[in-house]
Amino acid sequence: MSVGASWDLATIQVKALGGFFHSLVSRAGVSMGNSSSSSGRGHHDDTVDFGHLSPQGVYTGPRDWNQAVVSQLICARRLAPFYRPLEDYEESWDDDQILAARKELPDPENAEQTTRIEAASISNGSKSSIKRPSTLKEPARPEASVYRGAVECPICFLYYPPNINHSRCCDHPICTECFVQIKRSEPTTTHLVSDPAACPYCVQEHFGVVYTPPPWRTGFGSDGAISPWSSDSPKGSQPSIPSAGYPTHKRRQKSFSADSPEVVTTDQIRPDWEAKLAAVRAAVTRRANRRIIMRQVGDRIIPVGVTSGRVHALSPEEAAAAAENQDISGSRRSRRRQQASSNPGFEQYIGLGGQDLEELMVMEAMRLSLLEHEEQQRKEAEEKKKAVDASDPEAAVTTAESSGTGPSSLEVPPSDQTSSSLTLSSTSSTSLPSPSPAGTESSTSERRSFIPSRSRTPSPPTDSSWRKRTSNSPPFSTLNAALSATSTASAVPNASHDPPSMNATIIEPQTPSNPSHDIPAITIDIPMESPPEPTSFRAPSDGQHSKRPSPIHVDSLPSSVYSADSQTAPGISYDNLPSSPESITQEPLLSESKMIAYSQPRLPTEDESRDVGGSNRSV
Amino acid sequence: MASISARRLAKELHEIQTEGCPVGINLLQADDFAAWQFTIEVMGESLYQGEVFTLLFRFDKHYPISSPAVQFVVTDGKTSPVHPHVYSNGHICASILGNEWSPVLSVIAVCLTLQSMLASCKKKERPPDNDRYVRHAPDNPKKTQFHYDGNSP
Repeated sequence: MSVGASWDLATIQVKALGGFFHSLVSRAGVSMGNSSSSSGRGHHDDTVDFGHLSPQGVYTGPRDWNQAVVSQLICARRLAPFYRPLEDYEESWDDDQILAARKELPDPENAEQTTRIEAASISNGSKSSIKRPSTLKEPARPEASVYRGAVECPICFLYYPPNINHSRCCDHPICTECFVQIKRSEPTTTHLVSDPAACPYCVQEHFGVVYTPPPWRTGFGSDGAISPWSSDSPKGSQPSIPSAGYPTHKRRQKSFSADSPEVVTTDQIRPDWEAKLAAVRAAVTRRANRRIIMRQVGDRIIPVGVTSGRVHALSPEEAAAAAENQDISGSRRSRRRQQASSNPGFEQYIGLGGQDLEELMVMEAMRLSLLEHEEQQRKEAEEKKKAVDASDPEAAVTTAESSGTGPSSLEVPPSDQTSSSLTLSSTSSTSLPSPSPAGTESSTSERRSFIPSRSRTPSPPTDSSWRKRTSNSPPFSTLNAALSATSTASAVPNASHDPPSMNATIIEPQTPSNPSHDIPAITIDIPMESPPEPTSFRAPSDGQHSKRPSPIHVDSLPSSVYSADSQTAPGISYDNLPSSPESITQEPLLSESKMIAYSQPRLPTEDESRDVGGSNRSV
Repeated sequence: MASISARRLAKELHEIQTEGCPVGINLLQADDFAAWQFTIEVMGESLYQGEVFTLLFRFDKHYPISSPAVQFVVTDGKTSPVHPHVYSNGHICASILGNEWSPVLSVIAVCLTLQSMLASCKKKERPPDNDRYVRHAPDNPKKTQFHYDGNSP
């Protein structure tokens, strides 16, 4: 009785120390995420069924999963707690041997744990009436008996209590330490998809685990009056644990589907994977937005530099404002965004900094906004598309004649619709609040004057003189310009790839304007032309993802291999530079430009035409 | 406690030393948990009869979550097998070393897979893009993004 009482009191002590634990945990670098703070519940106890809520130092890499979600799942008994593993296990071992095999880990995570116990005993000592220290000194037997029938995790080769997670598909054991390590493939700038994690055992996609908790409960959630011993102290339940026998896992016949409620998937503990993917795509987009700045010297157009691609970086306030604009009608979206922005681990995406984070949020906002419109506008867009297709060839011919710059007008077939939506987006971009009005304005006006030279608008007055100049110049001078440009283009390797484009003051390979400028354009009711892209884009979970063609090696890779280390293969890397015209035909950039298409409804037409042209070229 | 990589490799090594390697595979060197070497030969009827190759495994600290870097040794007079999935610099185009790696696989499992890859070879030839690849290949084959497409390399 007295022993039980002291245990109870110690537990209360632990509860009182909750805040202190919290600071310890956060000092140890564990990101508790939003739930621990927003739920306001705090942790009543730091163990669940003699296991822990945070890893015990088996892995030392970054904890890039959402620890708050994992903790919740463990408390809900949907994921096995992080037990301190045994290096080895024999059935014949007694409790002492088991506890001896459960070595102290010198890792920081474990130092944290010992600190906790110290903190508890110190505080207990100050209260003086509690016999917590003695509880600590005599081995806590139930903590040993949970390891009876220990199971070796086939990945880390360590032993865990038999209540271990099992793969949803093929029913193999996997400890929580290893489970949280398994994640989707990281998107890279050359591989712009995030493949769902496959089961390490049977390679089935959308890996998930199912956990069967033991029939008893201790620690967190044990006062929930579910177990028969819950009215007793946990100490009182000790004899029941061994007598109940350790839960032996009966091999189940059926597998769970990835979306069954029992299953915890790798995506569930990394809910940010979509945003992460969007971040990489945004980074690629920004690179693709780089423009070659050309200067006219006499008859010649020479490249003088490359823009950063980040024409307009949103300040956090702006991003928030833009988000609010989009949020008028979406509680789901706002919740998602809050979650994203309050998640402390949010900025660690593959080392992308704050700027990319803002872009990411903007991209996500745009994506969500467009998804919302997608269903309503699908039919309308298709009709429009038919209309555009019908009028397209004619328009292209007309412009080719008027501009006299054949190659560029071939690449950018204009249409009534493109010019009108351009007007929309550029007007709205001026109304966008800007942190540096001067810089933004100048870049906006730059674009306005440059875009017409690519024959996107039929005949705006601003560029007539320029147009006249290019169309009047005899062919050899164009060639001359291209040649001289080539000679001065050493700093800009791609400038020489497309001499005809020299007629344009800025070479815009595929994304004529910065996404951030076009945010307001989304809210304007513009017909969407490419309904399928947004879904296939985000959607591995609904299966469309797998239908997407593999983004590499479509036509750009005649052979089976290329080097991901672009620095070691200059020829390849130059081909891959986003501003190179050839690279337009490459799938990663295509898919990335489709993303831009969310914000620019006129773009898909362009892409499609390039698609055709590109495949012709590559054949 | 050592890192997961070292601990798991220690257990794998222990298993190799107590139970031995499969036929045709022999541990050549495992002085640390950074790089191991094995000899590998195809037993029985095959195009590689009598040839012995050396496999080099390099492990990073995230093994077994991340795959080991595996290649044939082509220095010190050793050569890589002439095989449509093996480049002359020793790099191997095998999906289990790339996107199909699973942490459940072990060093020995990789050896066995490569052994059977050689054993099933029908024609001794280099990958069609061998010269181009070898010219630009990174030192670590894991930095190469191979395109695995079944039979042809």
